[in-house]
Amino acid sequence: MNNYLPRSRDLLEALVLILVALAAGLSLNYQLVFKSFAGLNPVVVAQPTVTASDDSVGFPEPVDFEDLERLLNRGYLLIDARAHQAYRNLHLSGALSLPLGEVDTQLADFKTKVPLNTPLILYCNGFGCPDSFDLGMRLLAEGYTRVLVYEGGFPEWRDRGGMLKSGDAP
Amino acid sequence: MMKKFFYHGCRLLLAGVFLYAGYLKGVDPVAFAGQVAAYDLLPYAFNYLVAATLPFVELLCGALLLINRRVKPALLVLFALNGVFILALTSLLARGLEIDCGCFHPGGAEGDAATSPQLALLRDLGLMLAILGAWWFKPVNTPEVADD
Repeated sequence: MNNYLPRSRDLLEALVLILVALAAGLSLNYQLVFKSFAGLNPVVVAQPTVTASDDSVGFPEPVDFEDLERLLNRGYLLIDARAHQAYRNLHLSGALSLPLGEVDTQLADFKTKVPLNTPLILYCNGFGCPDSFDLGMRLLAEGYTRVLVYEGGFPEWRDRGGMLKSGDAP
Repeated sequence: MMKKFFYHGCRLLLAGVFLYAGYLKGVDPVAFAGQVAAYDLLPYAFNYLVAATLPFVELLCGALLLINRRVKPALLVLFALNGVFILALTSLLARGLEIDCGCFHPGGAEGDAATSPQLALLRDLGLMLAILGAWWFKPVNTPEVADD
């Protein structure tokens, strides 16, 4: 029966194994971890997963947390590109939901609510999440003229104490 | 003979699963951090810390299981790790969040490629059985015990 219970040597070796793996991970990704704990954006620009076929379609510019409040005061509208369930659970206060996965079915309705000259700031889950960039390219192609992407997204906003709301209303 | 067969079967299955999962997550830690963040359990920077280190725990344990060395410590670590995965998935279900588990698609998957929390939970429970099986059926005369 003793063979089925962990020995102290097994537990000690398991601990060493974890420490070796942590050291390897931290040494290979130290910049990523250091920047995130220092409050810097570890990801410079997220790569979109779709490519614009039309050269005239622009690429949405990224903005950071520090610029966000100033832009919102200037009338920019927040758009949440995450799945609607995540939006309903919690979203940035004042944001409208337009999930990238449902853009084909919801875009017509969205365009009736949000005029093409409305300046937009899109966000998703941060961490290089490409959904907001992909949605931004789609909205630029649809005729929206001012589209920005908040790269830190929902997690950074939440952890920096930004105002959040739950439910279907902005 | 049968015990040995089950032991090596469980060991190699776990080695393959965790080497594959660790590799996919390790090559794109930023995308994996996003998937960890989608669980909505950790503060911002800690998602990056988990994404930077967890794949290496999986890779190291998978490699040890593959070469049949330090199997029991590797199984202990995987038992704890899988326990954490099961708790995280249970919390997803409790909160009604239907996201891709991020287990084998570090950037998240959509449509048919996505793995629901329910399916991921079942898979993790299966892996837990394989971990317990490898532990239970491990012959006493394997190299690391013979070294004692």
